[in-house]
Amino acid sequence: MITTATGRRMLAFAASAGVVALAITGCGRAEPPAGGNGGGNGGGAAEASPGITDDTLTLGITTPLTGATAGPGNCTADGAIAYFGVRNAEGGIEFGDGKTRTIEIKTYDDEYNPEKSVTNFQQMVSDEVFAGALGLGTPTNRAWRDAAAEEGFPQVLVMTGDPVFSSREDGYLDLGLVPSYQQEGGAFGEALVADGQPHKVAVLFQNDDYGKGYTQGFKDAIEGSDDIEIVKELSYEPTASSLEGQITELQATGADVLFHAVSVTPLAIADLQKVAALGWKPILFLPSNTASPGGILTPAGVTADTFTGVYAAGFAQAAAAPPFAESEAGKAYFAAIEQYVTGHEQDGKAFPHCVWSWTGAQILEEAFKNMEEPTRESFYEALTSISGLETDFTFGPIDTTVEGSPAVQVVELQKFNGNGYANVQVVG
Amino acid sequence: MNGLRNLVDRPWARWALGAVIAIILLVLPLSATEFTNQTITRIAVFAVAVLGLNIVMGYTGQVSLGHIFFVGVGAYCAIIPIRALWGGSIAEGAIVIGFALAIIIPGIVGLIVALAAVRLRGLALAMITIALPIIGVPIAKRFSDITGGNEGVSVRRLDYVASDGQTYKGNPFSAPAWSGLADDQWQYYLVMIIAAALFGLAFFLVRGKYGRAFAIVKANESVAASMGISPYRYKVLAFTIASMYGGAAGFLYIVALQYTSSETLSFGHSIELVIATIVGGAGSIVGSILGGAVYVLVPQITNAISPESTTVVQGIVILLVLFLLPGGLASLPRVLARRFRRARGGHNVDSSNSTEPAIENTENTKH
Amino acid sequence: MNSFGTFVQLVVDGLAQGSIYAALALAIVLVHQATGLINFAQGGMAVLGSYIGMTVGNLVVPVNLILGVLVGVIVAVAASFAIGAFIERFVMRRFQGGEEDTKVVATIGLLTLITGAIGMIWGFNFIPYPFFFNTSTSFTVAGIAISLWSLTTFLTIVALMAVLQLLFTKTKMGLGLRAVADNPGSSALSGIRVGRMLMVGWGLAAALGTIAGILLAAKAQLNPGNFDAILVYALAAVIIGGLSSPIGAVVAALGIAVLENLAGTFLPWIGHDLKIAVPFVLLFVILLLRPQGLFGRKSVVRV
Repeated sequence: MITTATGRRMLAFAASAGVVALAITGCGRAEPPAGGNGGGNGGGAAEASPGITDDTLTLGITTPLTGATAGPGNCTADGAIAYFGVRNAEGGIEFGDGKTRTIEIKTYDDEYNPEKSVTNFQQMVSDEVFAGALGLGTPTNRAWRDAAAEEGFPQVLVMTGDPVFSSREDGYLDLGLVPSYQQEGGAFGEALVADGQPHKVAVLFQNDDYGKGYTQGFKDAIEGSDDIEIVKELSYEPTASSLEGQITELQATGADVLFHAVSVTPLAIADLQKVAALGWKPILFLPSNTASPGGILTPAGVTADTFTGVYAAGFAQAAAAPPFAESEAGKAYFAAIEQYVTGHEQDGKAFPHCVWSWTGAQILEEAFKNMEEPTRESFYEALTSISGLETDFTFGPIDTTVEGSPAVQVVELQKFNGNGYANVQVVG
Repeated sequence: MNGLRNLVDRPWARWALGAVIAIILLVLPLSATEFTNQTITRIAVFAVAVLGLNIVMGYTGQVSLGHIFFVGVGAYCAIIPIRALWGGSIAEGAIVIGFALAIIIPGIVGLIVALAAVRLRGLALAMITIALPIIGVPIAKRFSDITGGNEGVSVRRLDYVASDGQTYKGNPFSAPAWSGLADDQWQYYLVMIIAAALFGLAFFLVRGKYGRAFAIVKANESVAASMGISPYRYKVLAFTIASMYGGAAGFLYIVALQYTSSETLSFGHSIELVIATIVGGAGSIVGSILGGAVYVLVPQITNAISPESTTVVQGIVILLVLFLLPGGLASLPRVLARRFRRARGGHNVDSSNSTEPAIENTENTKH
Repeated sequence: MNSFGTFVQLVVDGLAQGSIYAALALAIVLVHQATGLINFAQGGMAVLGSYIGMTVGNLVVPVNLILGVLVGVIVAVAASFAIGAFIERFVMRRFQGGEEDTKVVATIGLLTLITGAIGMIWGFNFIPYPFFFNTSTSFTVAGIAISLWSLTTFLTIVALMAVLQLLFTKTKMGLGLRAVADNPGSSALSGIRVGRMLMVGWGLAAALGTIAGILLAAKAQLNPGNFDAILVYALAAVIIGGLSSPIGAVVAALGIAVLENLAGTFLPWIGHDLKIAVPFVLLFVILLLRPQGLFGRKSVVRV
């Protein structure tokens, strides 16, 4: 009798599979996966890549939109959505080939799952997306990096400090947006050396490329300096629920510097509270994504004199700081976020990634203006030939022509002054 | 309807049906789009993973919340030797070695874990299995030299030496020239053939002597022991086989995605596998396939419609399916048939009507 | 600080962290007592309750902080009770008496749905939760730093534990809850209104969980995934403690957190990346020796 039931189940399955199969077969494999979709390109020069017509260009963003990293993940899309929303409303962007196109953005949720980001890449190819950009996360971007290279698909301005994306390796159309983790860690290391005083450093790092990158950059910068000693290095898993044990252990070393390469917001807040509670007053280093005055320091109850000094490596203005909202560019930014970002309670300042995404959009716009043919190769060529581009919020001009470097390179060391950050050269 | 059902009761009809499915699946990739092939390939990968979980959970009744660990280990066991050996003297042999290791090593690990863990039951076993992915991730990172840590490792663009003595970049899973296939079609066939073989083996396993023993152990361990069936031995066996299936799914994962990282092992994905197993249909071969489809298609379809709501939709799908079909999607035809009969009023007392309740009872106790 | 001082500090840190594990564990024990199942959505429900409390409380906070917080807590607890009872009646009731695996997956589905819904309604940003006092306040006793928040949490959890223990063992309702979980059929025959008991059990657990949710949010801000990392510890504590015992769950939760902290620091080969293995090893050893858990009643383990 069981077999009877099985038989019926098999029939049901076969029927549904057959319907699906026929439906799919109906669509057929008419078009080759690449090429096509020229949209009638008038120039007659190079054949247009998928995802670009005479009046639109489709940009794909695969990033975590739900799940644990959804906060910064949504931000990586929001800034660009807002920026291109404004440009599209103005009629579009005039490309290097003389045609004016609007930018259509398609977002894909990868839930910070590499398998899903590969799926999203495949879906982007299927959806005839021109290029993938601005996605957050090292494993999720790494997962489809080689696949993108095989397809000749640009994977640009990715929001990870993993230096591999800026390595300009042959066959890859990729580029990082934000400075490498090593560079940020190194900026602090150099300033510490410049201080000229002896220091004992305690290191707390996330057990992945993020934490290890920061730490490596710092170590490289202090190498050869006899006065600076790393007394203890402790790691943590990003899924941990508390790092207070590590803080207590590090405090016991008597270190006067705490290098805090922690990327998880609630953990960072709890850590700072713990450091203060222990009566420890170290010089603190914070990475750019967990240094926000409004998001981290104020909730942790940190003031200008809670610690000996709070330093952060930064490369763009913080939207949460008062001068930002008062500036012309800041006003335009918030107005655009307000108008074009919908669906969730994103205010454009809870995570710095929103501003970074806006910056990425400005760099993309520059590349669009300079690309002379509607092809991915021409786009990548234009994107990697930008120098001296001033953007609204970065500390220095954009230069994408430097081998081995991401688009944003100017990193400033900043010191917390109770309200916001001020740029400094030396720690102490 | 009755005519149709009678038709299906005949063995030749079922064989014919199977043949039709096989032919469709065989011909489909030649005309379907690249993305369709990739999607079906991924469904097959996770259907095998779900099938493994079904063997231990659906058929033997032992809750495992750590199944993704074996998938992740299998993926590493496949990708590490392929990266090391492919393109060298043994060429495609590296893939065979990867496949073998992806089954053997997770099997051994699963056996060791099972020898200790299946002494526990129910929630206790569930908790111990949670530990596998949770501890597995940091352990994988400790060996980041070979695992690539959270940045992961890829087998696309590996160096190989061609016959002209030059070194090129190549992908072990790209279609060989003699096949005349595109990469997506080649990977589709590779995954499908292995998956079909694994499903075939599982089919005979759960319907044979072992399957009956699993069912008895699941129903009542004391009864099993009194019948001379050692619950301990069969639980260890089920767990080990499940681990090997997990490992095989890990190999297929590499064929389909050509990349893995420590994120693959994470606990959240393990939970998603459990969801897929139950939503597809516990203790059902067809349910495993449907589970794989749910695992792949639900986020994919949501993504196409509203990428901000993938989590909400997943939650709704789970609850809705369990609400309407407590036996999972695989029980849909049974439920439909029952509805259909009720709608008819149930007056006509024919043979199928009188046998139906008996079937359902068997099914229920089997689950 | 000397190493003994560090040791004591680590124990104190562990107790503080363990209190949050314990709070969630207590809620899970309560649901298990009432319905015989493990609710994976307990943390998600607690976060939902906290968001509701925050939203309502913030309306009053501009008038008076303490009053606003109080209103928020009361509203959160009341709303959670209602939501818990509602979910039991209209979602989980359907699965009562069904396959255990299905029930577990149903609660996971619930967790997914609630977390996703919170994200859609309130977003994924970290939102500060107004509280009675500044949660970074701390004081020092004999060189050991204790945060006011930790002390408050610890005392709250101990009080809740005591209340629950009394509820289970001394009150008619508690006995009713247990009877329903053990044997719904005969409970119904003996005049217990089974359906209402189940709803009350879920409601109480949700309310209790929300107190933990608010305490956690007061310190770490509010986020849909606040309990993600904590759920595993709470589950381990519940199993080690023996599923049916509030005291057992709390003792196990505190023990896990303290041991984990000490192992991470004093056993370098384990280190902080692998210290999460400690509770699982502990769990395994205890269950092999005492299958019913440390404080569990001797009965057949369910599922």
